Amino acid sequence: MSDRHLYVYGVVERDEIELEMEGVDGATEIYSVDHGPFSAVVSDVETLEPEETDENSRAHDEVIRAVMEGGEGRTFVPMRFGMVFKNGRTLKSVLREARPAFSRALRDLDGTVELGVKLVAPEETSIDREAVAEDVSERLSAVSAGEADNGLFSDRLVFNASYLVERDSREAFDEAVEGIEDDYGDELTVQYTGPYAPYNFVDIEIGAQH
Amino acid sequence: MFLVDDLLLRPLVSLGNVIHSMAIEEMYDVDALRDERKENRLLYELGELSREEYERRQEEIRDQIALAEEAREHLSGRVEVKR
Repeated sequence: MSDRHLYVYGVVERDEIELEMEGVDGATEIYSVDHGPFSAVVSDVETLEPEETDENSRAHDEVIRAVMEGGEGRTFVPMRFGMVFKNGRTLKSVLREARPAFSRALRDLDGTVELGVKLVAPEETSIDREAVAEDVSERLSAVSAGEADNGLFSDRLVFNASYLVERDSREAFDEAVEGIEDDYGDELTVQYTGPYAPYNFVDIEIGAQH
Repeated sequence: MFLVDDLLLRPLVSLGNVIHSMAIEEMYDVDALRDERKENRLLYELGELSREEYERRQEEIRDQIALAEEAREHLSGRVEVKR
């Protein structure tokens, strides 16, 4: 018989979660493991090192999105791809050890989502990249609670950042993005994505594969 | 980026080692490969690449990353690769 370990997507305030959907490495059941005030969202996995394929990354993101959007909109402390625990006991001991960090993260992230904005230039362009980036950053900072620079990983990118946005400020943020599209859409492609769990605004290091 | 300052503090590093490190640095630059992977994905999302082209390239980059990580691990005991 093969070993069954627990793949962890993230942590929410204690809540019973049961979803039938595709998880990482072909899992079909998403459920919660409770400890104290938290529930870890998990699925069973046979390997301690799942491969970060497109399919697995997508499953990771989609589970998180489904859990976030369930209930009345949950606050979700996401884990990076690839957190596997040997069994429920080791997972619970980590939840116990990291309790203050998770409490703080849930408090900081309460009622927020993450949204991504990229501006992409065509192969040839004469626009002033710096000026555009500065203007866009200013407009979006005004309607968000946090900003994380995601780096210009391609020469085509003019701007690439994630924003922490209160659910209540969502409309104002959408409008700011629309304004950016109106002003730069002729020259640049604006890619607006999300909502995601706030990956870029939590930094909890937990020991995996115990 | 290769930090020359850092090397000056370690006078025992030979020039041969330095050149070797720099070559490895360039040949097996995992971060640059990860950037390429992200760029490939972005261009696909923007509709500039076909699904086939995107997947072919993605697989190619994945193999290169695996190779680069293996090479670095294999060589890390003998030369220092710093970023």
